[in-house]
Amino acid sequence: MAEVHIIGQIIGASGFPQHSLFCKWGLHTGGAWKLLSGVVEGQTQVDHPQNDDMAFWSHPIDMHFATKGLQGWPKLHLQVWHQDTFGRNELYGYSFLHIPSTPGTHTLLSPTWRPLGTWQEQICQMFVGGGPQLKSASLIYGGSDRYRLQTVAMGQVHLELTVILRNFERYGVESS
Amino acid sequence: MASGPSVFLLNVSGQIESAEFPEFDDLYCKYSFVYGHDWAPTSGIEEGISQITSKSQGGKQTLVWNFPVEITFKSTNPYGWPQIVISVYGPDVFGNDVVRGYGAVHLPFTPGSWFMGRRPEFTDPKVVAQGEGREVTRVRSQGCVTVSFNVVTKDLKKLGYNTGSSDFPSAQLMPQP
Repeated sequence: MAEVHIIGQIIGASGFPQHSLFCKWGLHTGGAWKLLSGVVEGQTQVDHPQNDDMAFWSHPIDMHFATKGLQGWPKLHLQVWHQDTFGRNELYGYSFLHIPSTPGTHTLLSPTWRPLGTWQEQICQMFVGGGPQLKSASLIYGGSDRYRLQTVAMGQVHLELTVILRNFERYGVESS
Repeated sequence: MASGPSVFLLNVSGQIESAEFPEFDDLYCKYSFVYGHDWAPTSGIEEGISQITSKSQGGKQTLVWNFPVEITFKSTNPYGWPQIVISVYGPDVFGNDVVRGYGAVHLPFTPGSWFMGRRPEFTDPKVVAQGEGREVTRVRSQGCVTVSFNVVTKDLKKLGYNTGSSDFPSAQLMPQP
Protein backbone atom coordinates (compact mmCIF):
# COMPACT_ATOMS: atom_id res chain seq x y z
CA MET A 1 0.00 0.00 0.00
CA ALA A 2 1.21 3.48 -0.69
CA GLU A 3 1.44 5.82 2.27
CA VAL A 4 1.24 9.58 2.67
CA HIS A 5 2.37 11.64 5.66
CA ILE A 6 1.14 15.20 6.06
CA ILE A 7 3.10 17.03 8.75
CA GLY A 8 3.21 20.75 9.43
CA GLN A 9 1.45 23.70 10.98
CA ILE A 10 -1.42 26.05 10.43
CA ILE A 11 0.77 29.07 11.06
CA GLY A 12 -1.80 31.86 11.29
CA ALA A 13 -3.95 34.34 9.42
CA SER A 14 -3.59 37.86 8.06
CA GLY A 15 -5.69 40.44 6.30
CA PHE A 16 -8.82 40.08 8.40
CA PRO A 17 -10.68 43.16 9.65
CA GLN A 18 -10.31 42.28 13.32
CA HIS A 19 -8.02 40.21 15.56
CA SER A 20 -9.07 37.57 18.09
CA LEU A 21 -9.29 34.82 15.49
CA PHE A 22 -9.40 31.03 15.59
CA CYS A 23 -9.54 28.42 12.89
CA LYS A 24 -11.53 25.20 12.57
CA TRP A 25 -9.94 22.81 10.12
CA GLY A 26 -10.77 19.43 8.66
CA LEU A 27 -9.31 17.08 6.08
CA HIS A 28 -11.48 15.33 3.49
CA THR A 29 -10.29 12.27 1.56
CA GLY A 30 -11.83 9.86 -0.93
CA GLY A 31 -12.97 6.31 -0.27
CA ALA A 32 -9.63 4.69 -1.11
CA TRP A 33 -7.83 6.51 1.72
CA LYS A 34 -7.47 5.15 5.23
CA LEU A 35 -6.28 7.16 8.22
CA LEU A 36 -3.58 5.24 10.10
CA SER A 37 -2.53 7.81 12.72
CA GLY A 38 -3.43 11.34 13.68
CA VAL A 39 -6.66 13.31 13.67
CA VAL A 40 -8.39 14.74 10.62
CA GLU A 41 -10.02 17.74 12.21
CA GLY A 42 -9.42 20.23 14.94
CA GLN A 43 -9.70 23.77 16.16
CA THR A 44 -6.92 26.22 17.01
CA GLN A 45 -6.74 28.51 20.00
CA VAL A 46 -7.90 32.13 19.76
CA ASP A 47 -5.03 34.50 19.06
CA HIS A 48 -5.10 38.19 19.81
CA PRO A 49 -1.79 39.63 18.62
CA GLN A 50 -0.54 42.69 20.38
CA ASN A 51 1.91 44.12 17.90
CA ASP A 52 1.12 42.83 14.45
CA ASP A 53 -1.62 42.43 11.95
CA MET A 54 -1.03 38.69 11.67
CA ALA A 55 -2.64 36.27 14.11
CA PHE A 56 -0.44 33.25 14.93
CA TRP A 57 -1.76 29.82 15.88
CA SER A 58 1.17 27.46 15.09
CA HIS A 59 -1.31 24.60 15.24
CA PRO A 60 0.50 21.27 14.62
CA ILE A 61 -0.76 18.86 11.99
CA ASP A 62 0.44 15.26 11.72
CA MET A 63 -1.53 12.67 9.74
CA HIS A 64 -0.58 9.32 8.27
CA PHE A 65 -2.68 7.78 5.49
CA ALA A 66 -2.55 4.56 3.49
CA THR A 67 -4.13 4.66 0.06
CA LYS A 68 -5.10 2.31 -2.73
CA GLY A 69 -5.80 5.01 -5.31
CA LEU A 70 -5.18 8.60 -6.32
CA GLN A 71 -8.83 9.64 -6.45
CA GLY A 72 -9.96 11.72 -3.52
CA TRP A 73 -6.50 13.19 -2.88
CA PRO A 74 -6.75 14.93 0.54
CA LYS A 75 -8.29 18.39 0.70
CA LEU A 76 -7.92 20.60 3.75
CA HIS A 77 -10.86 22.89 4.50
CA LEU A 78 -10.62 25.84 6.86
CA GLN A 79 -13.04 28.13 8.65
CA VAL A 80 -11.71 31.30 10.24
CA TRP A 81 -13.85 32.65 13.07
CA HIS A 82 -13.68 35.83 15.08
CA GLN A 83 -14.36 35.84 18.82
CA ASP A 84 -15.50 39.23 20.06
CA THR A 85 -15.16 40.72 23.53
CA PHE A 86 -18.54 39.32 24.54
CA GLY A 87 -17.43 35.77 23.68
CA ARG A 88 -19.64 35.48 20.58
CA ASN A 89 -18.24 33.67 17.56
CA GLU A 90 -18.68 35.18 14.13
CA LEU A 91 -17.70 33.55 10.85
CA TYR A 92 -14.92 35.38 9.03
CA GLY A 93 -14.09 33.14 6.12
CA TYR A 94 -14.05 29.74 4.46
CA SER A 95 -11.24 28.28 2.40
CA PHE A 96 -9.96 24.99 1.10
CA LEU A 97 -6.77 23.74 -0.51
CA HIS A 98 -5.52 20.45 -1.84
CA ILE A 99 -2.64 18.94 0.05
CA PRO A 100 0.36 19.23 -2.32
CA SER A 101 1.12 16.04 -4.19
CA THR A 102 4.87 16.58 -4.50
CA PRO A 103 6.95 15.50 -1.53
CA GLY A 104 8.72 18.22 0.41
CA THR A 105 7.97 21.27 2.47
CA HIS A 106 5.46 23.74 1.06
CA THR A 107 4.57 27.23 2.26
CA LEU A 108 0.93 27.79 1.43
CA LEU A 109 -1.35 30.79 1.45
CA SER A 110 -5.07 30.08 1.30
CA PRO A 111 -7.46 32.95 0.46
CA THR A 112 -10.78 32.98 2.32
CA TRP A 113 -14.27 34.13 1.39
CA ARG A 114 -17.51 34.53 3.23
CA PRO A 115 -21.11 34.49 2.01
CA LEU A 116 -22.60 37.87 1.20
CA GLY A 117 -26.16 38.38 2.39
CA THR A 118 -28.81 40.79 1.16
CA TRP A 119 -28.12 44.50 1.64
CA GLN A 120 -30.31 44.47 4.74
CA GLU A 121 -28.24 41.64 6.18
CA GLN A 122 -25.06 43.54 5.37
CA ILE A 123 -26.20 46.62 7.26
CA CYS A 124 -27.17 44.44 10.21
CA GLN A 125 -23.78 42.78 10.07
CA MET A 126 -22.04 46.14 10.19
CA PHE A 127 -23.76 47.08 13.44
CA VAL A 128 -24.36 43.83 15.24
CA GLY A 129 -22.04 41.30 13.63
CA GLY A 130 -23.04 37.81 12.59
CA GLY A 131 -24.00 37.08 9.00
CA PRO A 132 -24.96 34.15 6.81
CA GLN A 133 -23.10 30.87 7.20
CA LEU A 134 -23.06 27.68 5.18
CA LYS A 135 -25.23 24.88 6.51
CA SER A 136 -22.94 22.18 5.21
CA ALA A 137 -19.15 22.22 5.19
CA SER A 138 -19.07 20.22 1.96
CA LEU A 139 -19.75 23.40 -0.02
CA ILE A 140 -16.35 24.72 1.10
CA TYR A 141 -14.44 22.04 -0.79
CA GLY A 142 -17.08 20.94 -3.32
CA GLY A 143 -17.87 22.77 -6.53
CA SER A 144 -21.24 21.43 -7.54
CA ASP A 145 -23.57 23.92 -5.83
CA ARG A 146 -21.24 26.90 -5.78
CA TYR A 147 -23.14 28.79 -8.47
CA ARG A 148 -25.85 29.62 -5.98
CA LEU A 149 -23.49 31.53 -3.72
CA GLN A 150 -22.50 35.17 -3.69
CA THR A 151 -19.39 35.82 -1.62
CA VAL A 152 -16.95 38.51 -0.60
CA ALA A 153 -13.20 38.09 -0.15
CA MET A 154 -11.68 38.10 3.32
CA GLY A 155 -8.12 37.57 4.61
CA GLN A 156 -5.79 34.62 4.11
CA VAL A 157 -4.53 31.64 6.10
CA HIS A 158 -0.81 30.83 6.18
CA LEU A 159 0.24 27.18 6.37
CA GLU A 160 3.42 25.19 6.13
CA LEU A 161 2.92 21.55 5.23
CA THR A 162 5.45 18.82 4.51
CA VAL A 163 4.35 15.86 2.43
CA ILE A 164 6.22 12.55 2.68
CA LEU A 165 5.28 9.81 0.25
CA ARG A 166 6.13 6.15 0.64
CA ASN A 167 6.21 3.38 -1.93
CA PHE A 168 4.66 5.50 -4.66
CA GLU A 169 7.38 4.41 -7.12
CA ARG A 170 6.48 0.78 -6.47
CA TYR A 171 3.10 1.37 -8.04
CA GLY A 172 4.52 3.34 -10.93
CA VAL A 173 3.23 6.69 -9.67
CA GLU A 174 5.46 9.64 -10.49
CA SER A 175 5.07 12.59 -8.19
CA SER A 176 8.29 14.54 -8.59
CA MET B 1 22.01 -11.48 1.56
CA ALA B 2 21.97 -8.41 3.80
CA SER B 3 18.51 -7.38 4.99
CA GLY B 4 17.43 -3.76 4.57
CA PRO B 5 17.40 -1.24 7.40
CA SER B 6 14.38 -1.17 9.70
CA VAL B 7 14.99 2.25 11.25
CA PHE B 8 16.00 5.59 9.83
CA LEU B 9 17.97 8.28 11.63
CA LEU B 10 17.45 12.02 11.86
CA ASN B 11 20.45 14.03 12.99
CA VAL B 12 19.95 17.70 13.79
CA SER B 13 22.58 20.20 14.88
CA GLY B 14 21.94 23.87 15.23
CA GLN B 15 21.26 26.70 17.60
CA ILE B 16 18.60 28.90 19.07
CA GLU B 17 20.10 32.06 17.70
CA SER B 18 18.21 35.03 19.01
CA ALA B 19 14.86 36.58 19.79
CA GLU B 20 13.00 39.82 19.34
CA PHE B 21 10.58 40.76 22.09
CA PRO B 22 9.75 44.45 21.95
CA GLU B 23 8.32 44.61 25.46
CA PHE B 24 10.57 42.33 27.50
CA ASP B 25 14.25 42.09 28.42
CA ASP B 26 16.54 39.78 30.44
CA LEU B 27 15.12 36.60 28.96
CA TYR B 28 16.25 32.97 28.88
CA CYS B 29 14.82 30.09 26.96
CA LYS B 30 14.30 26.39 27.54
CA TYR B 31 14.03 23.85 24.76
CA SER B 32 12.70 20.31 24.75
CA PHE B 33 11.41 17.86 22.15
CA VAL B 34 7.98 16.36 21.63
CA TYR B 35 7.77 13.25 19.45
CA GLY B 36 5.57 10.25 18.72
CA HIS B 37 5.73 6.74 20.14
CA ASP B 38 7.75 5.41 17.23
CA TRP B 39 10.59 7.86 17.85
CA ALA B 40 13.46 7.66 20.30
CA PRO B 41 16.48 9.91 20.84
CA THR B 42 19.73 8.03 20.40
CA SER B 43 22.24 10.71 21.29
CA GLY B 44 22.42 14.36 22.14
CA ILE B 45 20.74 16.40 24.82
CA GLU B 46 16.94 16.34 25.07
CA GLU B 47 16.39 19.43 27.19
CA GLY B 48 18.36 22.56 27.82
CA ILE B 49 18.23 25.94 29.49
CA SER B 50 20.06 28.87 28.00
CA GLN B 51 21.81 31.79 29.63
CA ILE B 52 19.92 34.98 30.51
CA THR B 53 20.49 37.62 27.88
CA SER B 54 19.76 41.34 27.69
CA LYS B 55 19.21 43.67 24.77
CA SER B 56 22.19 45.66 23.64
CA GLN B 57 22.11 49.40 24.42
CA GLY B 58 21.02 51.34 21.38
CA GLY B 59 21.34 49.68 17.97
CA LYS B 60 19.29 46.55 17.25
CA GLN B 61 17.05 45.45 20.09
CA THR B 62 17.85 41.77 19.64
CA LEU B 63 18.32 39.24 22.43
CA VAL B 64 21.13 36.86 21.47
CA TRP B 65 21.47 33.36 22.95
CA ASN B 66 23.54 31.47 20.38
CA PHE B 67 22.45 28.34 22.28
CA PRO B 68 23.53 24.98 20.77
CA VAL B 69 21.04 22.22 20.01
CA GLU B 70 22.28 18.77 18.99
CA ILE B 71 20.20 15.63 18.85
CA THR B 72 19.81 12.40 16.89
CA PHE B 73 16.56 10.46 16.67
CA LYS B 74 15.80 7.02 15.32
CA SER B 75 12.36 5.98 14.11
CA THR B 76 10.39 3.48 12.07
CA ASN B 77 7.66 5.92 11.02
CA PRO B 78 7.43 9.63 10.11
CA TYR B 79 4.25 9.96 12.18
CA GLY B 80 5.09 11.90 15.33
CA TRP B 81 8.00 13.71 13.63
CA PRO B 82 9.82 15.57 16.45
CA GLN B 83 8.98 19.14 17.27
CA ILE B 84 11.28 21.41 19.22
CA VAL B 85 9.36 23.27 21.92
CA ILE B 86 10.89 26.56 22.98
CA SER B 87 9.72 28.38 26.11
CA VAL B 88 10.93 31.87 26.84
CA TYR B 89 11.06 33.14 30.44
CA GLY B 90 11.78 36.51 31.99
CA PRO B 91 11.40 38.39 35.26
CA ASP B 92 8.14 40.09 36.22
CA VAL B 93 8.02 43.34 38.18
CA PHE B 94 8.70 41.46 41.46
CA GLY B 95 11.67 39.55 40.08
CA ASN B 96 9.93 36.16 39.73
CA ASP B 97 10.43 34.14 36.56
CA VAL B 98 7.33 34.09 34.44
CA VAL B 99 6.79 32.55 31.04
CA ARG B 100 6.82 35.04 28.19
CA GLY B 101 5.90 32.67 25.42
CA TYR B 102 5.89 29.13 24.03
CA GLY B 103 6.57 28.09 20.48
CA ALA B 104 6.94 24.79 18.67
CA VAL B 105 8.18 23.88 15.22
CA HIS B 106 8.77 20.53 13.51
CA LEU B 107 12.41 19.70 12.92
CA PRO B 108 13.24 20.02 9.21
CA PHE B 109 12.45 17.06 6.98
CA THR B 110 15.15 17.18 4.34
CA PRO B 111 18.90 17.36 4.69
CA GLY B 112 20.39 20.81 4.45
CA SER B 113 20.60 24.07 6.30
CA TRP B 114 17.43 25.68 7.58
CA PHE B 115 16.93 29.10 9.09
CA MET B 116 13.57 29.72 10.69
CA GLY B 117 11.76 32.33 12.74
CA ARG B 118 9.18 31.20 15.25
CA ARG B 119 6.59 33.17 17.16
CA PRO B 120 6.09 32.23 20.79
CA GLU B 121 2.58 32.86 22.01
CA PHE B 122 1.84 34.42 25.32
CA THR B 123 -0.79 32.46 27.20
CA ASP B 124 -2.90 34.09 29.86
CA PRO B 125 -2.10 31.98 32.97
CA LYS B 126 -5.65 32.24 34.31
CA VAL B 127 -7.08 30.42 31.30
CA VAL B 128 -4.45 27.69 31.45
CA ALA B 129 -5.22 27.13 35.13
CA GLN B 130 -8.82 26.29 34.22
CA GLY B 131 -7.53 23.18 32.44
CA GLU B 132 -9.59 23.60 29.29
CA GLY B 133 -8.53 22.44 25.85
CA ARG B 134 -6.66 24.41 23.24
CA GLU B 135 -9.93 25.45 21.56
CA VAL B 136 -10.84 27.80 24.37
CA THR B 137 -7.42 29.25 25.01
CA ARG B 138 -6.88 32.90 24.23
CA VAL B 139 -3.33 33.84 23.48
CA ARG B 140 -1.50 36.96 22.58
CA SER B 141 1.40 36.49 20.24
CA GLN B 142 4.33 38.80 20.65
CA GLY B 143 7.98 38.39 19.89
CA CYS B 144 9.83 36.04 17.61
CA VAL B 145 12.60 33.45 18.14
CA THR B 146 15.06 32.58 15.36
CA VAL B 147 16.54 29.10 15.15
CA SER B 148 18.83 27.55 12.59
CA PHE B 149 19.34 23.85 11.97
CA ASN B 150 21.55 21.58 9.91
CA VAL B 151 19.87 18.27 9.13
CA VAL B 152 21.20 14.92 7.98
CA THR B 153 19.05 11.81 7.53
CA LYS B 154 20.08 8.18 7.11
CA ASP B 155 18.18 5.37 5.43
CA LEU B 156 15.00 7.41 4.98
CA LYS B 157 15.10 6.73 1.23
CA LYS B 158 16.04 3.06 1.70
CA LEU B 159 12.83 2.53 3.64
CA GLY B 160 10.84 3.90 0.72
CA TYR B 161 10.15 7.42 2.01
CA ASN B 162 10.27 10.32 -0.40
CA THR B 163 10.62 13.65 1.36
CA GLY B 164 11.17 15.77 -1.69
CA SER B 165 14.27 17.17 -3.28
CA SER B 166 17.42 16.99 -1.23
CA ASP B 167 19.86 17.46 -4.08
CA PHE B 168 20.67 20.95 -2.94
CA PRO B 169 20.46 22.26 0.59
CA SER B 170 17.99 25.09 0.90
CA ALA B 171 17.79 27.91 3.38
CA GLN B 172 14.19 28.84 4.10
CA LEU B 173 13.09 31.95 5.87
CA MET B 174 9.72 31.72 7.59
CA PRO B 175 7.16 34.39 6.77
CA GLN B 176 7.46 37.39 9.02
CA PRO B 177 5.11 40.35 8.94
